[in-house]
Amino acid sequence: MGSNSPRPGDAPPPKPWERATTSSGPAPFKPPSSGSTSDVVEASGAAKPGETVPNTERSVLPNRNTIGRPLPPRPWQQNYGTSYGGYGSNTNYNSGYGSGMYGSYGGFGGSSGLYNNNMYSGYGGLYGNSGMYQGSMYNGGFGGPMGGYGMGMGGPYGNPDPNNPYGPPSSPPGFWISFIRVMQGVVNFFGRISVLIDQNTQAFHMFMSALLQLFDRSGVLYGELARFVLRLLGIKTRTRKDPQLGPGTLPGLDGNGQQYIEGPKATTGSWDNVWGDDVRGAS
Amino acid sequence: MPVFKTPFNGYAVRFSPFYEGRLLVATSQNFGILGNGRLHVLEIDPASGALAELRSFETADGIYDCAWSESHDSLAVAAVADGSVKLWDASLPPAANPVRSLHEHSREVHSVDWNPVRRDSFLSASWDDSVKLWTLDRQSSVRTFREHSYCVYAVAWSPRHADVFASASGDRTARVWDVRDPRSTLVLPAHDHEILSCDWNKYDECSLATASVDKSVRVWDVRAPRAPIANLAGHGYAVRKVKFSPHRENILLSCSYDMTVCMWDYRAEDALIARYDHHTEFVVGVDMSVLVEGLLASTGWDELVYVWQHGTDPRAMP
Repeated sequence: MGSNSPRPGDAPPPKPWERATTSSGPAPFKPPSSGSTSDVVEASGAAKPGETVPNTERSVLPNRNTIGRPLPPRPWQQNYGTSYGGYGSNTNYNSGYGSGMYGSYGGFGGSSGLYNNNMYSGYGGLYGNSGMYQGSMYNGGFGGPMGGYGMGMGGPYGNPDPNNPYGPPSSPPGFWISFIRVMQGVVNFFGRISVLIDQNTQAFHMFMSALLQLFDRSGVLYGELARFVLRLLGIKTRTRKDPQLGPGTLPGLDGNGQQYIEGPKATTGSWDNVWGDDVRGAS
Repeated sequence: MPVFKTPFNGYAVRFSPFYEGRLLVATSQNFGILGNGRLHVLEIDPASGALAELRSFETADGIYDCAWSESHDSLAVAAVADGSVKLWDASLPPAANPVRSLHEHSREVHSVDWNPVRRDSFLSASWDDSVKLWTLDRQSSVRTFREHSYCVYAVAWSPRHADVFASASGDRTARVWDVRDPRSTLVLPAHDHEILSCDWNKYDECSLATASVDKSVRVWDVRAPRAPIANLAGHGYAVRKVKFSPHRENILLSCSYDMTVCMWDYRAEDALIARYDHHTEFVVGVDMSVLVEGLLASTGWDELVYVWQHGTDPRAMP
């Protein structure tokens, strides 16, 4: 199937069907016009050059897709820009924020200073340089030393002040509720984190003390076993003559302790003889 | 027979009306959902029989369909997913292409077809529910055909009449138009599901085939649109494209999402002549050569282009 040589003319090879006549009866179409397509269309009066098709919303469709429908307004599209300036003056938020956060926060004790700073930095970023923001930053700086300090700050902000100089009072409650929920979530999050850290520390401590106890006990076991084996082999252990107990052994838990207690009843009255008799008797 | 691996998922393949063994292949990245597109000009090497790339042109959006010009041997038109129709000259390097970019559709253009009779115009069908008529001497469309109420998936010129064409749409109708008439000539409620493709019989100017999501291919007589002449069932999924043979009156070729290419004789009792299952993904593009009888080409989402002679195995290497 080699390629033909390029044809000089602009017409392709004749189509196979052009040689054949149509096989069925007469067609219902008007006979074709002569001339170029654009001339033919313009002569018919149907030409509409350059008509752009708008991206129509389709009317009645058997299977239209949902993407074509207009979207309902999003919650954040309501009043967002205009109410932004009013955030700082919203007293509902402040009362909720102060009591909720600071109240729950006092329980954390020492780490509350860090926590306060975190909260305030996020808060400042959101609010820009409104009056509330500056006050909060200032308080945040104070918040470091004591968790209880926040309670005091929550008070003045919580009071609805009719003479509030920071702008019109009303702002959409939807945003505030959601914001307070976000804050609550943050507080809960850090609360859970701190509980986790606390419990982990506790568990680690218990684990370590149990481990130390295990080593302690295993040392005792080793000493006992070694002493027993040596006694079976008939080796005199100098440590047995030592009136002091070996490291790790506890008085009252083994026979030596009892003999030590009974030792003074021996006639010799000598410590060495007491132990020596015992050894001789055993071997 | 020759196989060519394209980097993107194949969407359409067309034999050149001027050269035997030259093909145009439209591909889209990521199954045409998102990404670039590429238009390949392929040629079968006469010595080795292998399929080699002459040129390729890149677009910023997927290409859904392509067609060779009937008036210039190197000119081609492509339907691009950004709503533009672009004209390419295969004899020019990619830097000089596209030679024209026509932006009037507001959504993806899904099909283009060049007028094979008058040879100076072409049609584009788009998902903005419209069909546009373009000519080479104009920078803007000559006419817009807006009657479909859903995406128009295919458009096909009548091979025997310079002014008549058919369109297939997702509104479950196929329509026959005359470019001189303000309204469509015929509304054909051809299937109960979306119609994805249509083509005219080359030997009977009243005979039209439609392919639909309902897995069937139907052949219609436009003078008696109440019932189809033939209903060809056998595909397992939606039929994506249907073509009448340029050489035989009764022969149709169809490709489907069931990954097969089927050849039909719609007048025969046992209509299914051959079934080719060489593709491993959806078969999206299919064509029959005008110049060589029985030479078939197909492409699909497995990124392969097959060219083979009817009756042979497409996978058999030369």
